[in-house]
Amino acid sequence: MWDYSDKVKDHFLHPRNARVIEDANAVGDVGSIICGDALRLMLKIDPTTEVIEDAAFQTYGCGSAIASSSALTEMLKGKTLKEAEKITNQEIVDYLGGLPPEKMHCSVMGREALDAAIANYHGLSYENSHDDGELVCHCFGVGVNKIKKAVWENHLTTVEEVTNYTKAGGGCGSCKMRIEEIIDEVWVDLEKCGVPRPGHVPTPIPSITITTSTAPNTGFSSISTVTSATAASSSVQASIDEKTVNSPIYKDVKEILETITKGFTDGSKVELVSINGASVTVKLEGNIATNPMMKDMTVGFVKQKLSDGTGRAIDLIVK
Amino acid sequence: MDNMNLGANLGGIYLDNNATTQIDPQVVEAMQPYLSVYFGNASSQHGFGVPVEKAITKAREQVADFLGAEYPDEIIFTSCATESDNTALWSALWSQKGKNEIVTTPVEHPAILQTCDFLSSHGAKINYLHVSNHGDLDLNEFESLLNERTALASVMWANNETGNIYPVEKLAEIAYNHGVMFHTDAVQAVAKIPVDLKKTKINMLSFSGHKIHAPKGVGVLYVRRGTRFVPFMKGGHQERGRRAGTENVPYIVGLGVACELAKKNLETVSTRVKALRDKLEKGILSSIPECFVTGDEAVRTDNTLNVAFKFVEGEAILLMLNEYGIAASSGSACSSESLEPSHVMRAMNVPFSAAHGTIRFSLSRFTTEEEIDKTLQVLPSIIENLRNLSPYWKQGKPQIQGLDHDFDADSKEVRA
Repeated sequence: MWDYSDKVKDHFLHPRNARVIEDANAVGDVGSIICGDALRLMLKIDPTTEVIEDAAFQTYGCGSAIASSSALTEMLKGKTLKEAEKITNQEIVDYLGGLPPEKMHCSVMGREALDAAIANYHGLSYENSHDDGELVCHCFGVGVNKIKKAVWENHLTTVEEVTNYTKAGGGCGSCKMRIEEIIDEVWVDLEKCGVPRPGHVPTPIPSITITTSTAPNTGFSSISTVTSATAASSSVQASIDEKTVNSPIYKDVKEILETITKGFTDGSKVELVSINGASVTVKLEGNIATNPMMKDMTVGFVKQKLSDGTGRAIDLIVK
Repeated sequence: MDNMNLGANLGGIYLDNNATTQIDPQVVEAMQPYLSVYFGNASSQHGFGVPVEKAITKAREQVADFLGAEYPDEIIFTSCATESDNTALWSALWSQKGKNEIVTTPVEHPAILQTCDFLSSHGAKINYLHVSNHGDLDLNEFESLLNERTALASVMWANNETGNIYPVEKLAEIAYNHGVMFHTDAVQAVAKIPVDLKKTKINMLSFSGHKIHAPKGVGVLYVRRGTRFVPFMKGGHQERGRRAGTENVPYIVGLGVACELAKKNLETVSTRVKALRDKLEKGILSSIPECFVTGDEAVRTDNTLNVAFKFVEGEAILLMLNEYGIAASSGSACSSESLEPSHVMRAMNVPFSAAHGTIRFSLSRFTTEEEIDKTLQVLPSIIENLRNLSPYWKQGKPQIQGLDHDFDADSKEVRA
């Protein structure tokens, strides 16, 4: 059941300013019917004083999307453009007396519509006036910059929170790893600004020494983690040829082999050597390499896993 | 009426019977003695165990009779249909050496789909059938997926969202001819359509008590005699060693009575409940523009109606309905755990633009004509009000100069 505040319910059941301003001079459209919510924000701004004289909306979406839109229009009326620009999604949430965590993206949508309307007022289209950056979540079309902004402004620490605020990661989930990286990246900067990262324990990677990295040692613990993670992946990739890395099944194969290696409790390892079409060459280490019976079993198992995981009949070569 | 505190006899109109049902007062009455007087353990060798064991035996017979099972010992009591489904999949893989494939559909309940997902990450191969835009299956495709490595074919008897009834008797026959074990999740079918298992080739069937006016926490797995079986829950010798754990006696007794009542009321469902459902459907389609029924209208359970309202979002409709104490459910993203519309709507390729606005009304024998009339009275204005808020609703389209694009309400796009 919905955990909505009375204020949210009130704004949903009795939306303020739900109408069309025919002579609006700032219109912001965000969202789409495909994603399940869309908002059109209409503002009438006095060109000389830049005061928002009227604000109205039309919204397709759930209860909290409608309530967030309604609240935003109330907040905007009477403000100057300069003041309006400073409104954050958290202020919309506060105005409504809170939103359930999984509905935070509704307030972000309100903030975006405001950006879009302001861009429209200045004669720009929203798409041209801001840069999405690298597309991270393909399901909901969320770019890296939107995620960074949400993490930065709301001090988000988990992928789940990012999904609640931006929807990124809420579809197939394949971008969750990337979102984790982005969170780490933003927190490096946040910590530089003196914001302590709650409950963060950087994962040490003992085999990598940071001294080899050229990154300046700024003394922030999370930096060393990020740097060493990058160093780790580049050092692995260095030993693998370009053909292998460019193989369409490279990522899958790499992941499967890593998972299998993690599963060995005796320190055995299966390492990728190269990929050529559907033929995968690996190197075995530890008990699975020395014990002939284990070796046979492992080879059969790895071959099956790779074939299942890639959808191809994999030819496994052991170096 | 407090619309945030609803229940039986507390006002409110309950049209969400595919989610769960009101416990029949006769069921509660039958359970009472086993919550107070008869507390014994059925496995005990003394006088406290006797009445309890007898009660379980009687319930088993009631369930067997309800399902048309040839022998009462083909009935295994479980904790819920999810456990029954897990057991069926698990058992089929473990009991048949060299078979590691499962054939199923993309519109199954998560109890099947999530379990299949897990099994596939542990070496099982899952083959999914395709469904048409109306949710129908292709029998030839089903047959083509069966081979000597197929451990189990599992197809639901009726779908929870659309009510679509699948031809499981035919599918079971095909599977039988290929030597493949057949399981059906019949949670949404039993008590709505007649089931006579002895006349079919179905090996296993799952259903749960709380969908047929018994309490939550009790389910059934039917396992035909001669079907290879390994228990999922290991431990004591209860249920002939097929499901360990002390029997949930009061609930089993309740389930037995619920089955007897369900059998008696089958005709009520196919006549009175169906008439109410049809009235609701006709009323909605004739009074609300731009909506359509999802699923296969010709072959669905008599209590279920799933309507897609274009240009409005499902959760908003549910919230508005709840203001009147009317309970239904939605396949929209916002009312689910994930941000995607329901997997059933996606499997049927219902465009996202409509899938977000699907509402399922599911009736029961406790639904009254007055309740349907009340729903029909408030629904059109709810939809109209929400559409007036929506930028996709063309009638209220703003005439704003210099807008470089517009929302595409008729998008047929489906996200990858």
